[in-house]
Amino acid sequence: MFRVRFHGRGGQGVKTASRVLGTALFHAGFEVQDAPRYGAERRGAPIFAYVRADRQPIFERGVIVRPDLVVVVDDTLLTLPAAAVLQGIAPHTLLLVHSAQPAEALRAKLKAPGQLVTIAPREVAATGLQPQGAMMTVGAAARLLGVVPRQALESAAGEELAALPAKLRQRSLALTLDGFDGVEAPGGPVRELPAEPAEDYDRPRWIALPFEDARIASPTIYGAGTSMLSKTGLWRVQRPVIDRERCRRCVWVCGTYCPDNAIAADAGGYPVIDYDHCKGCMICLVNCPSHAIAAVVESQAREAAAAGDAP
Amino acid sequence: MTRTLLTGNAAAAWGARLAEADYVPAFPITPQTEIIELLAEWMQRGAMAGRIVMLESEHSMLTAAGAAAATGVRVFTATSSQGLLYAMEMLYTVAGWRVPLVLVNVSRGLAAPITLEPDHNDVLAVRDSGFLQFHCATCQEALDGVLLAYRLAEDARVRLPVMVNMDGFYLSFTREPVRLPEPEQVRRFLPPFDPETLYFRAGAPRSQGVAVLGGAQYSYFRYEAHLASLGALRVFEEAAAEFARLFGRSYAPLETFHTADAEFAFVMLGAFATKAKQAVLRLREAGWRIGLVRPRLLRPFPAQALVEALGGLRGIAVIDQNLSTGMGGVLCSEIGAALLRAGARPVVAGYVGGLGGRDIPVEEFFEMARETKAAAEAGRCPPTRLLYTEEELRQTRALQAIAMAE
Amino acid sequence: MSETRFKALKDLPAQHLLLPGTPMCPGCGGLEVVKQVYDVLGENTVFVNAAGCLTLLATYPFTPFRGSWIYTAMASAPAGAQGIRDALDILIAKGRLPPAQNLDVVVLSGDGAAYGMGLGPTSAAIDRGLDFYYLCYDNEGYGNTGQQTSAATPAGARTATDHGPVGFAGEKKDLFSIWVAHHPPYVATITSADPVDLARKVETARGHAGPKLFIALAQCPTGWHYDPKDTVQMGRLAVATGIWPLKAYAGGRVTHTRRPKPKGERPPVEEYLRAQGRFDHLFSPTRNEEALARIQARVDAYWDAAE
Repeated sequence: MFRVRFHGRGGQGVKTASRVLGTALFHAGFEVQDAPRYGAERRGAPIFAYVRADRQPIFERGVIVRPDLVVVVDDTLLTLPAAAVLQGIAPHTLLLVHSAQPAEALRAKLKAPGQLVTIAPREVAATGLQPQGAMMTVGAAARLLGVVPRQALESAAGEELAALPAKLRQRSLALTLDGFDGVEAPGGPVRELPAEPAEDYDRPRWIALPFEDARIASPTIYGAGTSMLSKTGLWRVQRPVIDRERCRRCVWVCGTYCPDNAIAADAGGYPVIDYDHCKGCMICLVNCPSHAIAAVVESQAREAAAAGDAP
Repeated sequence: MTRTLLTGNAAAAWGARLAEADYVPAFPITPQTEIIELLAEWMQRGAMAGRIVMLESEHSMLTAAGAAAATGVRVFTATSSQGLLYAMEMLYTVAGWRVPLVLVNVSRGLAAPITLEPDHNDVLAVRDSGFLQFHCATCQEALDGVLLAYRLAEDARVRLPVMVNMDGFYLSFTREPVRLPEPEQVRRFLPPFDPETLYFRAGAPRSQGVAVLGGAQYSYFRYEAHLASLGALRVFEEAAAEFARLFGRSYAPLETFHTADAEFAFVMLGAFATKAKQAVLRLREAGWRIGLVRPRLLRPFPAQALVEALGGLRGIAVIDQNLSTGMGGVLCSEIGAALLRAGARPVVAGYVGGLGGRDIPVEEFFEMARETKAAAEAGRCPPTRLLYTEEELRQTRALQAIAMAE
Repeated sequence: MSETRFKALKDLPAQHLLLPGTPMCPGCGGLEVVKQVYDVLGENTVFVNAAGCLTLLATYPFTPFRGSWIYTAMASAPAGAQGIRDALDILIAKGRLPPAQNLDVVVLSGDGAAYGMGLGPTSAAIDRGLDFYYLCYDNEGYGNTGQQTSAATPAGARTATDHGPVGFAGEKKDLFSIWVAHHPPYVATITSADPVDLARKVETARGHAGPKLFIALAQCPTGWHYDPKDTVQMGRLAVATGIWPLKAYAGGRVTHTRRPKPKGERPPVEEYLRAQGRFDHLFSPTRNEEALARIQARVDAYWDAAE
């Protein structure tokens, strides 16, 4: 059985990509299971989807814990522990990353035990979420499985994208096929993991759940503001950066409109953005009277910060 | 301790009054309405220091009840039948909040077809909600059950809502002699509500009933409620022992009647079980070794006590005043499962009777005893039987003719 | 409006009470409005939440509130508010709670609950004169489940359940008037795009005992299909074009607290519609002149009657 897990952000077309692959495998004669996994997180938050394919009926269900192929649509997720992109990867697991970074460098950085293949973004950058990346990546994923004919992928993408406006559909279809044609796996196609042996397995460490009284065993939070521990800044794909030279310190504007209460004045009256929590909506940028806020691509901002020249 | 004639409804209202309930969110429905009317009257003339508020539905009533309990007051409420089902979502919800409150359900058959007469499908439809269930067979039990229910609900080891169930008409509107306990004695049994960690107030931020993400957390909270419910059996026994000391009336989770030497037993819930007692006495006069087993607590399920009472018998007749469509009687399958898991194998004869208030005359008990004995001799459990006679079908046919349903 | 401490943005509370880290979408107009309302109400509040997007504001073990919160169900949050209000009053009356520890009770409801399933319970809570605040964040659809048509969906909007060429063929329910017909002490519409108007209204409501109800436009980038950065602009356009009247009901009278420019001078409503993907089909492939004229006519008729 092939087990493929897709990682991306809400709004990047991860669900569509997983369905394209599911349909393509189905057209190629496989039994298929595909599903997105939704949490409470919204646009920009890390999400995942998965596809299983086998030549016989599939009995396995739910989240894939031992993937054969991990497809990463957004490379900024690689360094987010919350995204759990690398969860369950083994030496046989192939990592396919939509990224401009060289594969070898990425592999070293991630200490990936197996093969890592990149597919370079078609158009650099930009801001916001880019659903197009998902289409290139799914094309490449289909190729790497080694069992999906190009024709099956093409008709699958046609079906799954049917609801899109014509122009966008054609572009997405072209990107899907570009992804298929443009990828190579020097280490060979994706390998399937043999089934778990029933004799030699990791035994679950079951416990008898101890009784605890309702003071702790009710879904009650005995405190305030614990959401501060939830780092929603990880959702951000672009970062608002305040230019202090231009800032007129009218923090009541950006501070009032920020839905997430991620802007507060410092001792000098300058607004300071809480990057642990700012989701990158850019409402502050649009409403800044002195145009003192700029949008910086998050991954570049992080690299700059890591290099020591924080904005 | 005065002894007076009270309906089941009045007895339940007296339970709430003696428990000094602070708050009663209410909504009328037959045959429960008399309870809230009495409480309203008492509160309005100052005989009871609580507040009653009419809500616009049972769903809202249970929401207000749970929210008030979550704020730290002692809450009482009552409903019936359709009302209980209308509140279904909130029964699970407030139990999940882990708030103590007492709800009296006056059992009545469920629509459709709509009826006012009793059976237990309403209360059994909510058996998995997290509410504990205390089932009454007499008006005295309706009063005492409310007091016991508060002790149970508010115990830190439990902290779950409790439902006290009585049969519509047969108890709700029926007067029997009831001993009214003295308020001081009740206070000794049931001290003022200590809400512990349950409150909303300035300076103490608190989020209750919070959503969870993920099966591990969900399983934890749900299963902890289950563990608390199971543990409530022991808490009930403690409370019942103290109750017996103070008031002289004993309440085991299971009522047993002439079971010590029995070979056979009837098993029933609720008020109709007193009819079974009458049958037991008559059968014993005729030489039978037969008894009655009646669960007072249905949640937590007194499985061990049931196995002890029934496991060694030759045959039992479980009379379900409910119908799980497509399966049969609920009590019968729960008891069957308990016996099977204990490795005890008396022959179990399942009967469905008393639906929608349909009477069960004493002759039918005799006949059930006879069939159960025959089944035990054959060593085979008979199929579930509906208590229904030729004459009843004839009457139904006559009505169908008028309805032109031919 | 009478005496107010809020004359300009600068006068608004500088410290915001609702803490970050919530799972709401980037640019959520509903979150923005709750944050602004909370700043004026203060932390001595208990929010009673009805099922909707903001159900997930508190997700175990995370809460953004400095005060308290309870999640009830979709229909019956006003009844939850009743239970808490009554319990607090009982505790104070019986000397079990110092009056200084009293709280204000605030229902938080999406439009799905407020306009639909929860309307009966809201009506009943107003009937009972319940002393509470009710805040409906109206994102004009069942947003938490992917923006299906609700009773608050406006004419012409495309939703997950109205895909047709005309979008939603019905009209948005006039919840403001339904509430006003109950004659509660205070009803107002608000938008987080006009935080001063919002703050003044919440401040005014604080002076009234009994039900105080608000309908807030909750711009929704996810469900309305616009860039999250434009949330405030969407709110301003809604007010400027006249499609979201800012008004208040008190003392038996409805007053408009902001008036768009007169007909002919104010921007046409299509400026608001065109900015959102949910109305795309009214403009392309061809302009649906009839639908656009009908929507404009309704807005004009509203202001003709109001002026």
